[in-house]
Amino acid sequence: MPRLPARLALAALVAIATIPAHAAEPIRVGVTVSQTGPAASLGIPQRNTVALLPTEISGREVKYILLDDASDTTKAVANTRKLIDEDKADVIIGSSVTPASLAMVDVVAEKQVPMISLGASSKIIDPPGGARVWVFKTPQNDSLMADAVADHMAKHGIKTVAFIGFNDAYGDGWLTEATRALEAKGIKLVDTERYARADTSVTGQTLKMMAAKPDAVLIAGSGTPAALPEKTLKERGYTGKIYQTHGVANADFLRVGGKDVEGTILPAGPVLVAAQLPDSNPIKPVALKYVHDYDAKYGAGSMATFGAHLYDADLLLQQAIPLALKKGEPGTPAFRSALRDALEGLHEVVLTQGVANMSPKDHNGFDQRARVMVTIQDGKWVLLH
Amino acid sequence: MNSVDPTIFLILLQDGIVNGAIYALLALSLVLVFAVTRVVLIPQGEFVAYGALTYATLGAGRVPGSVFLLCALGIAACGYGFWAERRTLDLSATLRLLGETILLPAAVLVLTLWLAPQRAGIAVEAFLALLIVAPMAPYLYRIAFQPMAEASVLVLLIAAVGVHLAMVGLGLVFFGPEGSRGDAFSGATYTLGALTVPGQALWIVGATLLIMAALALFFGLTLRGKALRATAVNRLGARLVGIPTAQSGRLAFALAGCIGALSGVLIAPLTTVYYDSGFLIGLKGFVAAIVGGLVSYPAALVAALAVGIGESFSSFYASAFKEVIVFGAIVPVLLARSLLAAPEAEEE
Amino acid sequence: MRARRLLWLPALALFLCVPFLPGLPLFWVNLLDTIGIASIVALGLVVLTGVAGMTSFGQASFMGFGAYASALLTQAGFSPWLGLPAAIIASLAAALVIGAAAVRLSGHYLALATIAWSVSLFYLFGNLDLTGRYDGINGLPALDLFGIGLGDSRRFFVLVWICVALAMLGTRNLLDSRVGRSVRALRGGAVAASSFGVHTTWARMLAFLYAAMLAGLAGWLYANFQRAVNPTPFGLNASIEYLLMAVIGGAAHIPGALLGAAVVTILNDRLQSLLPLLLGAQGSFETIVFGALLVLMLQIAPEGLWPRLVRLRPARRVIGHAPELPRRAMPQRGDAVLDVRDLRKNFGGLVAVNDVSFRLSAGEIVGLIGPNGAGKSTTFNLLTGIDHASAGHVAFRGARLRATAPAIARAGIARSFQHVRLVAAMPVIENVAIGAHLRGRAGAVAALLRLDRAEEARLFAEAARQLARVGLAEHADRPAASLALGQQRIVEIARALCLDPVLLLLDEPAAGLRHAEKQALAALFGWW
Repeated sequence: MPRLPARLALAALVAIATIPAHAAEPIRVGVTVSQTGPAASLGIPQRNTVALLPTEISGREVKYILLDDASDTTKAVANTRKLIDEDKADVIIGSSVTPASLAMVDVVAEKQVPMISLGASSKIIDPPGGARVWVFKTPQNDSLMADAVADHMAKHGIKTVAFIGFNDAYGDGWLTEATRALEAKGIKLVDTERYARADTSVTGQTLKMMAAKPDAVLIAGSGTPAALPEKTLKERGYTGKIYQTHGVANADFLRVGGKDVEGTILPAGPVLVAAQLPDSNPIKPVALKYVHDYDAKYGAGSMATFGAHLYDADLLLQQAIPLALKKGEPGTPAFRSALRDALEGLHEVVLTQGVANMSPKDHNGFDQRARVMVTIQDGKWVLLH
Repeated sequence: MNSVDPTIFLILLQDGIVNGAIYALLALSLVLVFAVTRVVLIPQGEFVAYGALTYATLGAGRVPGSVFLLCALGIAACGYGFWAERRTLDLSATLRLLGETILLPAAVLVLTLWLAPQRAGIAVEAFLALLIVAPMAPYLYRIAFQPMAEASVLVLLIAAVGVHLAMVGLGLVFFGPEGSRGDAFSGATYTLGALTVPGQALWIVGATLLIMAALALFFGLTLRGKALRATAVNRLGARLVGIPTAQSGRLAFALAGCIGALSGVLIAPLTTVYYDSGFLIGLKGFVAAIVGGLVSYPAALVAALAVGIGESFSSFYASAFKEVIVFGAIVPVLLARSLLAAPEAEEE
Repeated sequence: MRARRLLWLPALALFLCVPFLPGLPLFWVNLLDTIGIASIVALGLVVLTGVAGMTSFGQASFMGFGAYASALLTQAGFSPWLGLPAAIIASLAAALVIGAAAVRLSGHYLALATIAWSVSLFYLFGNLDLTGRYDGINGLPALDLFGIGLGDSRRFFVLVWICVALAMLGTRNLLDSRVGRSVRALRGGAVAASSFGVHTTWARMLAFLYAAMLAGLAGWLYANFQRAVNPTPFGLNASIEYLLMAVIGGAAHIPGALLGAAVVTILNDRLQSLLPLLLGAQGSFETIVFGALLVLMLQIAPEGLWPRLVRLRPARRVIGHAPELPRRAMPQRGDAVLDVRDLRKNFGGLVAVNDVSFRLSAGEIVGLIGPNGAGKSTTFNLLTGIDHASAGHVAFRGARLRATAPAIARAGIARSFQHVRLVAAMPVIENVAIGAHLRGRAGAVAALLRLDRAEEARLFAEAARQLARVGLAEHADRPAASLALGQQRIVEIARALCLDPVLLLLDEPAAGLRHAEKQALAALFGWW
């Protein structure tokens, strides 16, 4: 009688399939971040941050519905539809990576739900208009960061640069932006190399870069995998300057990099060095609060700047939701549209990563204040003045 | 456009050989497991990642989560074992089963809890990492594969995918999304003309040669080794002459677990290992194993070295297309092998 | 009978109305859309892997070809409908190029090759400016049909499931046809099939192309459903997931593809919602539980869930009256048929067949006898092109014989095998019909469109006639493997007779037969 267990299995499936969705009332924030897969090092601190967010904004209960998109585009889009259709989300936060965010743009535009992306590339919001009127993002545009790097290089007399980046959208975005920014400063890009996140060796790429004898090397990777090229360069006796991107800004990078990453220069959001900011900087208290809250919950020194992007997205919502509540009830198209308008109209909102001034032309809203140059000294992030 | 000077050539060659040695070890165990059990052991790479990350976690003075997985798998394997052998179980078999699946992980757990915080030294930590990771393999065989040992190769393969998915997910829980490195066995570097060879690289190549020699002796001289070979050649025949195939399967898995975990411990000091590194490393081992025909060890070794060296050189010439080149290059090899193989061999 | 067969049409029509039911959450419609698209890819794998026995880890790449082709055309301003033929042509073209090498690969070599192209193509898509690099092509316009926008997932549902229904119907038609039988014979019966004129490499290619075409169709749907295309959904992991769906559902069964896609998709989705409730913690436990469940499901149902849920009864094939197939011109009794001179086969140093010479005339029954290992079967294998002779000369009806199995079958030599070579799971009647392969000509397209029915009826009438002739008519619908060994030998003879042979080579036809069966066999010979 093989049919019985099979019948049971079917019944169980049906049971799973018919768990009802709950009724609507509070403000619903749908979050889809990459908790697993290649971008897990971004998504996990973002997931952790959700627990720090306020559950009430101007007297209204806020519900966060958290999903994992496994760094996968299809899953991210499916999650977005699920959050909107099943969970009746009023706003979507996510995804952690650019390709997934790009694919989500059309879905939120079609459903007319505002979305705040945590992806790096400016392509998510540029060019403005069209479907992108519904899309905002909190991480600094990679173009802003690339300009900062090029600036710093030019000031320190660097003439030639070799580039090595992830063989994915992050590395690709940086290659495009760095090429543009370096050219603008008259710095020559003498070699470009790519590697995969999980590669066990970058010896070939390193030798090729060193053969080009650059004044500096720019590494575009995120988290601990970005340490591999740097360690290999040091092993092979490279003595020039090494630049990283803001993608490396977490404690694990320092742990894995050890003494080999001393002296590295990178652009980062102010939250990375919050305690070292001058007291006059309005960002300092906001950033410090986040660092403090995160460390208190997850252990000292565990804060990663990726989580701060999600925190910033919520800070934006805290400003915009009271305005939107005047125009409509949560769960209605009027509310979502008012929320979008309110987000677009935000002015001088202090976040952990900078000060945002939104406009129809700029859905990121960051300026120079959203980046600082940082170096690594004695295994710590140190603000460069 | 880029002429390679001899120094660079040598460095690339060395890098390729070191990577190739690891692929060779994995290829070896994949061949062994497939021949004995018909399972394409996709989770082989996970043993490498677990080995490396367990070693690195111990090196940081913390208790790795993998030791708890070992205990859980041991208990599950015990349950499966009792169920599978419920009709034939006598006292000595019961004791053996309990010893294998309960006592061993319990001992490892106690040892780990005791040794981990006191930084007992590299050799002890490496050995402990092996003890934690290697027994998982035979437990997994008991739990996942032994109950369907007679299923088709395809079904076993998909089951291996299931084990792989679960292990990667658990790896993320235990070790976090970021990578780690372990302490080197030897900080020394040796200069050979223009070439500087790190001591760890010599360890890897040396260990590979040693393991191969040991396996050759094991298969050639010991009764268990011969039994394993017999099972590989003909499962039914082996069973008819009294070799328990399930036991052979566990032994093959245990060897694969040892080799995987050891590979992990060996590469941990040279590169950063992530919770999901295993798949790609295992895949390259798989490439070598298949190019070697899934039967021949020397051919797999040559293929593994070729993959390692090919990777090293293509990362120099066209790093963005490295995988395209490496994987593209194996297709003609496969074609040649396939055409040279026996004409129209009946499948399944 | 016919009315019952068409029952699926109203069922489909009813199903297409499902998304418009009031109260069905849009979310479930989306999920069903996803399931539909995935099941089309899995359906291709049923044909390729489950039926033809070729394991592929590369179906998502073909989906990628379809999706990118469609996206590029749409981006260039063409109608997304034009993307459909473009997607199918692109995936077929890619399959033709890749398949040229792939179908010559056996077993694991093929599996590895599929991994190889899967990985390579992922990085290729990601590094080419044409395909928008890693960010891909985004913001594609929605499909519309005479002004009715299909961007809405409820309306898109209709499109997806019409495609699924057509794909399932096409697959059934294809497998239940002359070429379909040759594809089905690839797993376990390839040698025998080639001895009856089936070009096995072409049959493999056909399975390969068909699976790729379905993947291309799914790719087109995917591109228009997501309205964005980038490399991740077409990588190795995605390919593995499709294979997993097919195996879970039951890789050898058409509905298995649908069931597998549904189970995997729904499980993945529900686990994400359920686990945090069950475990009380936010974590990434989905893949862990999913992996464990996968293993468990395979342990309970190694053949897949479909055969486990539905007790599969062998369907009764209705054999109607059909005009007899034309017969070939037979030689006159006493004409020379076969002339073998100095036939030789060396396996390395071993001489298996040592300069054998003999002649055969029409109407003769000649026995080839010798002890075990004398080379009898090898001689047969040489004569039927399964092995190639090291030296010697074979003339058939006065002309030199070409040494490939299909050509020899075409000339009119049919054989049985010492070790029975029937397709185990296939009904006896269809096994016998493979013998008549060369007496039909309908191809894959005719099969897909069911334009082959008249010819099929004639082939099956012939098969039934030969089966009745050997006295096994009542076993026609049973799977071949369920017959006793002696009966299976007799089935092989019926299959050989279906070729309308000039020369019948029977390799130990009486081995393993009981006395009564031997007598029946002798009667069969005497009856001629």
